[in-house]
This record gives sequence, C-alpha cells and structure tokens, in this order.
Amino acid sequence: MSDKTDKNSKKNVIVFALLLSVICSLMITAAAVGLKGFQTINMELDKKINILKAADLIGDKKPSKKEINELYHAHIKEVMVDGQGNIIETWAPNSLNLYFYQDNNQIKGYIIPINTRGLWGKIYGYLAFENDGQTVSGFSVFSHSETPGLGGEIESAWFQKNFKGKKILNSKNKFVSVGIAKGKAQNLPRDLQDNYVDGISGATLTGKYLSQGIKETLVKYDSVSVTFRQKQLKAIKDKQ
Amino acid sequence: MGDLFSLFINSVFIGNILLAYFLGMCSFIAVSKNVETATGLGFAVIFVLTVTSPVNWMIYHGLLAPGALAWAGFPDLDLSFLKFITFIAVIAAIVQAVEMIIDKYSPLLYVTLGVFLPLIAVNCAILGTSLFMVERNYTFMESIIFGAGSGTGWMLAIVSMAAIRNKVKYSDVPKGLQGFGITMVIAGLMAMTFMMFSGITL
Amino acid sequence: MSEEKTNYKELITKGIWKENPVAYQVLGICSALAVTVKMSTAIVMGIALTIVTAFSSMLISSLRKKIPSNIRIIAELAIIASLVIVTDQILKAFFYDISKQLSIFVGLIITNCIVLGRAEAFALANKPLASFFDGIGNGLGYSLVLITVAFLRELLGSGKFLGFNIIPQFIFDAGYQNMGLMVLAPGAFFVIGLLVWLKNSLPGISKEER
Repeated sequence: MSDKTDKNSKKNVIVFALLLSVICSLMITAAAVGLKGFQTINMELDKKINILKAADLIGDKKPSKKEINELYHAHIKEVMVDGQGNIIETWAPNSLNLYFYQDNNQIKGYIIPINTRGLWGKIYGYLAFENDGQTVSGFSVFSHSETPGLGGEIESAWFQKNFKGKKILNSKNKFVSVGIAKGKAQNLPRDLQDNYVDGISGATLTGKYLSQGIKETLVKYDSVSVTFRQKQLKAIKDKQ
Repeated sequence: MGDLFSLFINSVFIGNILLAYFLGMCSFIAVSKNVETATGLGFAVIFVLTVTSPVNWMIYHGLLAPGALAWAGFPDLDLSFLKFITFIAVIAAIVQAVEMIIDKYSPLLYVTLGVFLPLIAVNCAILGTSLFMVERNYTFMESIIFGAGSGTGWMLAIVSMAAIRNKVKYSDVPKGLQGFGITMVIAGLMAMTFMMFSGITL
Repeated sequence: MSEEKTNYKELITKGIWKENPVAYQVLGICSALAVTVKMSTAIVMGIALTIVTAFSSMLISSLRKKIPSNIRIIAELAIIASLVIVTDQILKAFFYDISKQLSIFVGLIITNCIVLGRAEAFALANKPLASFFDGIGNGLGYSLVLITVAFLRELLGSGKFLGFNIIPQFIFDAGYQNMGLMVLAPGAFFVIGLLVWLKNSLPGISKEER
C-alpha cells in the first residue's frame, strides 16, 4: 500500500499539521467572533438581573429579557462616586461604582457592587440598601467559585433572603457591617442578631471570607452610607 | 505566606481535585490496584501539575486574557477562547518531556507505568487544574501552590485507594459490585472522610 | 474490499445499553459526576458530549487515511479541542445560565476518555457515517447514565425534578428531610456504584471482565 509510506513522510506531516492548524483556527475564531455579540448581551443581562434581584424588584420567577431591560431602565441609575460620597461625572482613580434604585424620580435606595475573595476564587455580587443608609434591602450573588453544595449555597434564595432587614450599625450606632454567623444567627446574643445572617453548614470559610469582603467594601463606601443617614436625619428633623 | 499555606492545605484536603471535583478518575480506577504503581504515577502527576499550572498561567496572562496583549500593542484583544487548545497543547508537550526524563533516569519506573504515563496528558485533573486556576484568578505564586496542592491531593487519594483495594481483595464483595462498583463506593466513603476537613479553620 | 452494510441502528443501541461506555467500559466518568447535582446541567452536558463525540469521530474517520501516525494523538486532540471550543462558545451565547453552572466541565470534554476512546477504537478503522452514529450511540449511553444519576441526586438531595418541587409539602411536614449527602460528592459516588451493581445484576448485559 503505497499511501502508507506517503502519509508518514516528513513533508506530509508538516503539510498536514499546518492545514489542520489553519482549519481549526478558522473554525474556532469564526465561532468566537461571530457569537461574541450574543455573549456580551448575556453577561450584561446577568448583571442587570442581579442588581434588580438585590433591590428586590424581581421575585422567584425568572422574568423575560424585555421585562428585565424595562425594569432596569425604569428604576436603576448607574453613577460614580468619589471617596467623599459625591457624585462625579468622569472616572478618577479612586472612584467607586454605585447604583441608585429610583421610583418616580425619588431615590428609594442604593446598591453596592461586592467583589471579594472567597475560599476558592472571587465572589461577585450586589448588596442593596434602603435610603436610611443602614438597612440592607437585599443581596445577590452572580459569580463565585465556591464548592457546590457547601460554599456554593451563597447563590441560593434562602441564604440571600436572610440579608433583608439586617443592619450595618449596631445598637450603639457604631459601624459593624453585616456578617455571616457560624451556625444560626438566632443563637447569637440578642443585640448582635441584627448584624448577622445564618451561616451555611460546612462552609465556615466561605462565610468568613464573604463577611470580611463585605466589611472591607462597606468601609470604602462609608461616605455614601453617611450621606444617606444624614439626609434621613435631616428629613426627620424637618418634619418636627 | 499564610494564605499560600492555607491554599495548599485546602487543595489537598477540602477541595481535593479527585474526591471533591471528580477530576482524574479514569487513570485512578485503573492504576489504583497496585500501591507502588499508584505512588509512582502520583509523583509524576504532582510534577506535571506543578509545572503546567504556572506555565499555563504565564501563557494565559501574557497572551490570551482580555487586555493581555497590551505589551504588543493590542490592548483590546481577547483571546481567552483559545485557552482550551493552548493548555492541552502545553500539557501534552510537558508530559512528553516528563516521559523522556523518566525513561532516561528510571527505566524501571518507565516500564511499570507503561501506557499510563502518556495518559497523564489526557487526565482531566491536569487540564482541570489549569482551568480552575484561570477561573479563580490566581496569582503566579498561587498557581504554583495550587498545582502542587492538587497533585498532592490526587496522589493521596490514589495511593489510599490502592491500599484499600488491596485489603478489599480478601473481602466477599457481591458479584455485581466487584471491580468498578465497589471502587465507587470506596471512593464515596473516602470523599466523606475528606469532607470532615472543612470543619477545620486555619 | 467488501462493502459491509453497516447497521446504523445497531451502532446507536450498542452504545446505549450493551456497551454503555461509563458502566461497561469504565470510561468518561470524570466530568460525569460533578454536573449531576441537577438534571438540567446533566442534560446539557450529555448533549454537548454526544455532539462532540459524533462530529469528532466523523471528522477523524474521514481523515483516517491521511493522518500521519506520529502526530495521530495530537491531531485527534486538536480536532476534539476545536469542536469543544465551538460548543462552549455556542453555550455561552445561547444558554448562558447553564454554561455558568457547567463552568470548566465543558472544557473537560476534551480529556473525556469517551471522545478520545471512540476516536481511537472506532473512527480510525471505520467509515465517517458509521463513526458518526457510533459517536451518537456512545454519547447517548453516557447521557443516559449522567441523567439517571442526576435524577436520583436531584430528587433525593433537593426534592426536585428539573427544578420543580415534586415532593408534596405534607411529606416534609411529617418529618422527611432532603438527603443533603446527595448534593455533595460522596452522594454521586454511591449512586453510580449502586447503579453499576443494578446494571450488572440485570440479565443479558455484558459484565466488566475481571
């Protein structure tokens, strides 16, 4: 069979390898470039749906693409703030991203992006606050690398729902952030319960890293919280 | 330093690449019949992982990641979709090199490992470690430690399994469960014991 | 050279039952277990692997007389890797949520023993169309095992079927609790071990030679 020696000749090996590489590259690049548009839309939609989830604007049922875009457009405004809590127009080195939740042109709350280290990789999520600057109104996680079934429970509804109503100030109005308890929050002393959510059994480390990450992020955004707290104090005083 | 040590311990025990993520099972089942072979293969895997993980890190962050090619004047280019094929090519090349080294310095080991040596290249644990490293955004040092840790964890699992299967040879395993079946059950029990490490805080 | 009338239907059914790759040939369980926490991820994974195996076997078979022997494995890996990348891109574009959950396991199809195994064992010695169906058969066999394990793990571990709660509340009220072990790694190992035992005990099925 003459073609057996032919196919193993040095020249044939090189020609074959080159042709295969070219064809494979074309195939892969065509797919990647051609589909990139769809993929970017998906990633943006994913971000929007999580911001809306944190702001408690969508329930358990997954809404359609159109609904998500409408809700987002109507209620969420993305802004940049500087270290003192002032809204700025152009990007500066220490500027922070922030989202306002608006209803009828009134700011009902704000949403902070959380980007923290987890046990394995980064945890990306959103922590939403009411306009009193201290009560959490929701929490969502849209990307993590934690162990499925253990740390991975941070993406489940029961864990995230527990954040609603928690406070980042303690009973003495000192900033303590909101943390993940080891075990159930109700087993903690009375005056600490408002600052902790139930932990995930078997995922103490994930809880520890997430708590730390939330605290560090909130420290960065402290000026925002202070601004809202002062506004609320002023609103109460004005009423009196 | 503490973080790196913690990462190492985590990858060996709590996030054991085989017992928690199921990667590297094909050769695991076939080779774990003999403790010596398992140990030899285990060391080979540790070496391959400790080398491929940082090499793939350099290639990913130097060439493929979004914005990685800024040094060449293409800051907007995102070639990350090529990571599967470049990683596997790098792994195949390094495994080939390891084969040649083992053949030169320990022909006995080379013969014992037989066909399993080139099979390391298609061991899911090797590619999986590189892919996890990218997904978890590790630094260069972390990628080395993660590679070494994953390898050590894999070797720990495979050697323990070989030792256990040697003992099970003398047990009365039901006919349908012999071989693959009982190996799976043993793996399940081992996975449970490794999970107990998640209760330890460092 | 005699023209064999290949029985395509038999090729497919052989892959699903008599020579099911996972249970009989002990192949491809690597990624099999990590995605079996839910049925939805297992189904997508099964489809992805079936498509990759079928097309890669077909492509490799059509090139079988031209591939030089010393770069055979690398050439096969290149073809398989390219197909997997294309599949991954398609998933990210049209099934974004599921692709997030499958994470690195789609990429691991490249090293899945079934794909390379069928290429070596069948595609190199048979015609493209037969190889395509052989790939489909083996892929479906793999999917069958995957989905069965996922069905059990999702049902026992979270009381759901395809994401829908199907265990009525009154059973929970009576004291039943979801078997948390099923959601974790050991659960998958036990389920697969027991399924293999079940399969080996059924008559007419070829057993793994000891």
